[in-house]
Amino acid sequence: MNHPFLKNKGIIFYTAAWLFIAILFGLALRYFYDFSTKEANIDSFIFNGTFYGLGLAFWFVVRYNSFDSSQILNLVVSHLAAAALSVAAGVFITLTILKNILPQTEESLIYLNSSVAWRSGLGLLYYAVLILVYHLIKYYDDLRDRGQQQAQLETMLKESELEMLKSQINPHFIFNSLNSIASLTITAPNQAREMVVKLSDFLRYSLGKENHQLNTLEEEIANLMLYLEIEKVRFGDRLQVETQIDIEALNLTLPNLILQPLIENAVKHGIYESLEDVTIRVTAKTENGILRLFMTNEFDPKAVSKKGKGIGLKNVRERLRVIYGVPKLVFTETNENLFTVRLDIPQPNEK
Amino acid sequence: MIKAIIVDDEKLARDIIKAYLQNFAQVEVIAECGDGFQGLKAIQEHEPDLLFLDIQMPKITGFEMLELIENPPVVIFSTAFDQYAIKAFELNATDYLLKPYAEERFKGAVQKAIDKIQTKASAQKEIETLTEKREELSEGIERLVVKTGNKIHILGLDQIAHFEAQDDYVAIHSDQGKFLKLMRMKHLEDNLPSDDFIRVHRSHIVSIKHIEKLELYEKDSYLLSLKTGSQLPVSRSGHSKLKEVLKY
Repeated sequence: MNHPFLKNKGIIFYTAAWLFIAILFGLALRYFYDFSTKEANIDSFIFNGTFYGLGLAFWFVVRYNSFDSSQILNLVVSHLAAAALSVAAGVFITLTILKNILPQTEESLIYLNSSVAWRSGLGLLYYAVLILVYHLIKYYDDLRDRGQQQAQLETMLKESELEMLKSQINPHFIFNSLNSIASLTITAPNQAREMVVKLSDFLRYSLGKENHQLNTLEEEIANLMLYLEIEKVRFGDRLQVETQIDIEALNLTLPNLILQPLIENAVKHGIYESLEDVTIRVTAKTENGILRLFMTNEFDPKAVSKKGKGIGLKNVRERLRVIYGVPKLVFTETNENLFTVRLDIPQPNEK
Repeated sequence: MIKAIIVDDEKLARDIIKAYLQNFAQVEVIAECGDGFQGLKAIQEHEPDLLFLDIQMPKITGFEMLELIENPPVVIFSTAFDQYAIKAFELNATDYLLKPYAEERFKGAVQKAIDKIQTKASAQKEIETLTEKREELSEGIERLVVKTGNKIHILGLDQIAHFEAQDDYVAIHSDQGKFLKLMRMKHLEDNLPSDDFIRVHRSHIVSIKHIEKLELYEKDSYLLSLKTGSQLPVSRSGHSKLKEVLKY
């Protein structure tokens, strides 16, 4: 930490405060000792000027002594030593200079000698006040630093939390898709080429996105369709997809890939766990400036399914909470053999 | 002629196996199945020598299907990505194919299988060790698949009231009825969720949710009544476990 009075405009405040003290001091001398204006000003300037200089150095006493209860004795000792030394030095310097400047009469010599006591007292007072001010400044600075660190820490935490909640591409999906492609190269090379392109587009979009980034619904839906088309190649007619997207919703934004875990769940519970044909329905509309997304899949309510205790859904919920700071944006509904997830995505205010 | 059946829920995955098999004149694909139920039926009907089996499929997994077959054929697994499967196979001599696989790799696997079938090597024994290995590696039981006659039942753990040891078998008492399955009590005890099931006796594992009451029967001997009306003996160590879980 730098010296508070030597950075920015600190020195101006410091100097102004001392000027004020010096004027008061001069006035006091004229009042109590009947000094001439000139003599009073000289005395005041020399004495306060000395402490002006010393006062700047007091900072280091505060700076290099931590205010720690375990070291309270240390602190007291170093302050006493610093106070004694600096006050003695200050008074000595002042008197030496004054003796040479003031008219060398008996009267002024007596005055100077008798002033040692109150000068020392005043010096101690200066010391005490300055130390107090320095402590306050240091305390305030520490507090602000800690606040900044806290804020920084919270940002980092939020980022890593978001990173964790980000959906990972299911490796099972990738390897099975590659196996389908291998198969197609024998039976239908054209389709294999198409699927390679689709899979690449999907991977490019899914791997290349920063987590914070909000994408338009149009982009997200396009990627979703890519995914579903690939799954359709794998599962054929067993997978049916219906979409109903309002045109005005297309330009609204949502966190990238937020729909991916949900569509994977839908496919998993629909296709992977079922022997029947399955229809997945994706609906998007706007209501009161909110983007409202519905994803519905058929499932077998009697199935005793393994695994998958709603991690995907939980992560989506958490991610939306962290991004938008609103606790409940995800709603689910089970109606006989239909499972529906609804997301309410708030929209940022108009630019 | 070697009879083969392919069980995989993806048509394209079955297609590539068929295509690669054309290099083997002695192997004939007699059935293709899209799930474990169909697979079971086809195996009973055709009694194949060789089985190509996927693991993750709708309804029942390839492993579960295999458990229900009495005289399983030689099996080549083909799976995309399943760390437990990989581990299980690494510990075992049975071949597996990791999707997508090279044709050379496939040929090697089939050649191994053919050798085994022709020398009538102990295929049966191999499946048993495979199942055992899988039991050891099992990361916890989530459901049980059983067969009565031609009907397959998938039992969720919450449907099961208690298990009872019967020689080499375990009787599963569930709300779908009582079923016998070839397995060991130790395996159940180790892999059932310990929050839900307790082994109260050498021959009994009970579902905590199904407990009605615990009574003193004779000195130092307790009797556990279930909501289903069954009564089970409780051993001394079983009693202390019950005490701990039920906190009385």
